[in-house]
Amino acid sequence: MADMTSPVPSAPLLDVRDLGIAFRSGAGMVQVTRDVTFAIAPGETVGLVGESGCGKTVTGLALMGLLPSATSHITGSVQLEGENLIGMPARQLQRRRGAKISMIFQEPMSALDPVFTIGQQISETLRAHRSVSAKEARERGIEALARVGIPEPALRFDAYPHQLSGGMRQRAMIAIAIVCEPRLLIADEPTTALDVTVQAQIVDVLGDLCARLGMAMLFITHDLGLVAQTCSRLVTMYAGEVIEQGRIDDMLVRPRHPYTSGLLRSLPALAARKTKLPAIPGRVPMRGEMPDGCRFRPRCDFALPPCEAPQPLDPVPPVGQVRCCRNDELELKGVLS
Amino acid sequence: MNARATTPIVSIDDVGVHFPVSRGRTLKAVDGVSLDVMPRETFGIIGESGSGKTTLGRAVVCLEKPSAGRILHAGIDPYGLSSRELRRHRRGYQVIFQDPNAALDPRMTILKSIREPMDVAGELTVPERHNRAIEMMERVGLSPDFASRYPHELSGGQKQRVCIARVLTLRPELIVCDEAVSALDVSIQADILNLFAELQAEFGLTYIFITHNLGVVAHVSDRIAVMYLGRIVEIGRAEDVVGTPGHPYTEALLSAEPVALPAHLRGQNRVMLQGELPSPIAPPSGCRFRTRCRFVQPICAQTEPPWRETTPGHASACHFAGELPMMSGAELHPLKAGQPGRTVETGL
Repeated sequence: MADMTSPVPSAPLLDVRDLGIAFRSGAGMVQVTRDVTFAIAPGETVGLVGESGCGKTVTGLALMGLLPSATSHITGSVQLEGENLIGMPARQLQRRRGAKISMIFQEPMSALDPVFTIGQQISETLRAHRSVSAKEARERGIEALARVGIPEPALRFDAYPHQLSGGMRQRAMIAIAIVCEPRLLIADEPTTALDVTVQAQIVDVLGDLCARLGMAMLFITHDLGLVAQTCSRLVTMYAGEVIEQGRIDDMLVRPRHPYTSGLLRSLPALAARKTKLPAIPGRVPMRGEMPDGCRFRPRCDFALPPCEAPQPLDPVPPVGQVRCCRNDELELKGVLS
Repeated sequence: MNARATTPIVSIDDVGVHFPVSRGRTLKAVDGVSLDVMPRETFGIIGESGSGKTTLGRAVVCLEKPSAGRILHAGIDPYGLSSRELRRHRRGYQVIFQDPNAALDPRMTILKSIREPMDVAGELTVPERHNRAIEMMERVGLSPDFASRYPHELSGGQKQRVCIARVLTLRPELIVCDEAVSALDVSIQADILNLFAELQAEFGLTYIFITHNLGVVAHVSDRIAVMYLGRIVEIGRAEDVVGTPGHPYTEALLSAEPVALPAHLRGQNRVMLQGELPSPIAPPSGCRFRTRCRFVQPICAQTEPPWRETTPGHASACHFAGELPMMSGAELHPLKAGQPGRTVETGL
């Protein structure tokens, strides 16, 4: 699979190949993801979706080099602007994290330090990566707060996290992440803890930042509606593997993997009112009891004997890929069918 | 039986639930709410954090005593009953919460958790309770193999099924589902919503479905009430509220809902709500939504909006309901291409 053609035509900003993550568990290792391969072009927004336990968040953490090396084993490569982040010495990685690649999380309250002001936390990032004076750091911090739509940024700069509402905290966290103008922002369920109207505001801010800074974004979520609204490409993960990827608008209408199709069809917003929703039977298999061959096979309505063999990622013209041997013959339902 | 069908199973009349906060101030979590829920109906309540939807749901099942107004259960005032009668009465009015992990005792087996409400009620013999518990497990789609397991051995969806089975053992008439599917993955959520629909047909249940998820509430509900800062701002049949919103807040909620459609089929029309939710301790005068409303007029600060019915059974608490150039559900989320988009910012 190493020679597989990249789905992104231009030189990718981020190129993830065969990323495998294993955690130490008791005596042995448990493989959490394997062969995760995808790329992100400069300025591109890519959605990473899947149900809980599919490996979305650990993939994000691995890209940032945030998994503890003592208990995790990472294989494959993560190239950011041509440099492999996997196996990079900690000090070098530190220089890239926050400057070139940043991450925001679901719960801003647990990601912000309650005993420091918002301003101190922004300045800390800025001064770690750029040689700026305290005065300059303050100016640029206030500018970052203004950029994420915080009213009265000069006042909020000196506020503590508890003095802000949930939506404002998430904005503050985004401000910290983007103050050094990174090339890539990893957003892990950044709006899940927020109300829908606040979510709409945050999504707006993120889209605006990507456009203005030319920043790429990996948007990790379980909400396909959000991906449709924010991303141009979609990567679906299931049980630790990438099972499909492609242009979002193609995949919504014509998914190639039965799991992607199942996720789309189970959305209540798109079904006729009061009708039975097409659910996906069963559950994501537990780590350590992964089925052979296609991992979705036990829950799949279309499984046949060939599905018991390992499934490669097949190309779907023009830019997609799918891990299903029946992808050519199946006419799977999308959001419009 | 005939009279029953026309008596609301829950009648909420000008109910307020107030909590004292520091310095003698009061938080009116629910303030002046009136609505009727009919038997076998699914009534949806939608709102964001701080709207009072959970407090209202708790008041319906007597977990919160109204500070003002009253709630009748099929014509009966539960607080007029003796404590003994109330204990028996409230078995018919059950609630399912969002987080099944918090609702189940980690040290009890699944069977014991499901049996517990019957053990407390103490009406059936032990073998009868056991049999009914097993029967309900099967009914909600759990294999009897799970009986001797503990909650940590189950997935989130399975745990939520346990919570449903245990409220069914008491043969309730009404179940308040407070964000009962919000913590579940979409495919599991679809399964549980289907289960709720089957159980309703089978047992003649009435649901009050409380959620922040418009897609879910619109799918399951017959009627919907929209709450904002402790008050209902709009009420009506689900298709009317979602199709032709009468209150500017409902319009903003509809617009904020992300819909999984390709860009050319998604509405380019958006209403972006600006600013933050005002403090519920000191809500704005007049209309509570006025600080963020894109149609605000001087009168909105002076007088509380009266209820205005736009079509039969569809009413909004807005001075200008039915007169505002609001976007319809179809305009916000059209399935047609080629419509020019407009974005409106509100409440600056």
